[in-house]
Amino acid sequence: MNSLLRSSLLATALVSAAYAAPQSFDFKDPKGVNNVQFHLDAPLESITGTATGISGTVVFDTAAPESVTGKIVLATKSLTVGNPLMAEHLHSANWLDVAKYPEITFEAVKVANVKTKGAQVTADLTGNLTVKGVTKELTVPVTFTHLADKLGARLGDAKLKGDLLVLRATFEINRSDFNIMPGQATDKVAENIVLTLALAGAAQK
Amino acid sequence: MQPTNRLSLALRLTAATALLAVLGLWVATGAHLGWTQTSKVVVQHDEVTGIDFPVREKTFVAGVEVLAVGAGFAAALAAASVFTNRRRA
Repeated sequence: MNSLLRSSLLATALVSAAYAAPQSFDFKDPKGVNNVQFHLDAPLESITGTATGISGTVVFDTAAPESVTGKIVLATKSLTVGNPLMAEHLHSANWLDVAKYPEITFEAVKVANVKTKGAQVTADLTGNLTVKGVTKELTVPVTFTHLADKLGARLGDAKLKGDLLVLRATFEINRSDFNIMPGQATDKVAENIVLTLALAGAAQK
Repeated sequence: MQPTNRLSLALRLTAATALLAVLGLWVATGAHLGWTQTSKVVVQHDEVTGIDFPVREKTFVAGVEVLAVGAGFAAALAAASVFTNRRRA
């Protein structure tokens, strides 16, 4: 009886450990849903742009969300706006210089104020944001939503087993901090840029 | 001032046509008070993740610079018509 109980407890512990183990979520999105939107004020009309060239990996443990680590990479070439001349300026050497700096990265350093409510975790994520070769540490309020066993449904293949991690964040940066026309053209384009991220990563089992 | 020669009349008609054409284009594409757009964002919803994501669709929305260039061109033609009219008078 004792050995049966011990075996059952061991099995339960092993299953729990398997489910609670940190998972590595890949944010390269085959469906083109992952997106970053940026918004900044300008005199004639505010500028809203989009970017979809997202990749990176986040290691997330549902049992210990405070241990989250990872890096999100955005291909600067994928940043675009509706006006072609404006898009050309955005990619030029004066602004983002996409030829020289092909990536914008955010690498997590530490997490604070972690709050869990069901599958949703909110936290203040501190990390290093690198734009145009300049790295600054900043703290971003993020929401993680763990969607267990949803990978197959997302990719339309029921045989695929795995989880999804949805990451959402909205924060503001100052372009002068990242050497993007510092202190210049402020009458044409605001210095503050609001970034909104909505990304889903996949971890296959 | 009434045009006294064919060239002047042609220039004025062209100016009026250009102004009406550019106004018509601007109104037909939405009378957009911002810059010209060659793509627009359509927001779609991913049911599984709950993410709203932008999809860019090709379009043409004439902006105020198109209106300004058209009006400038029409004004230049109208000025030229006055000039040619004076020279012939």
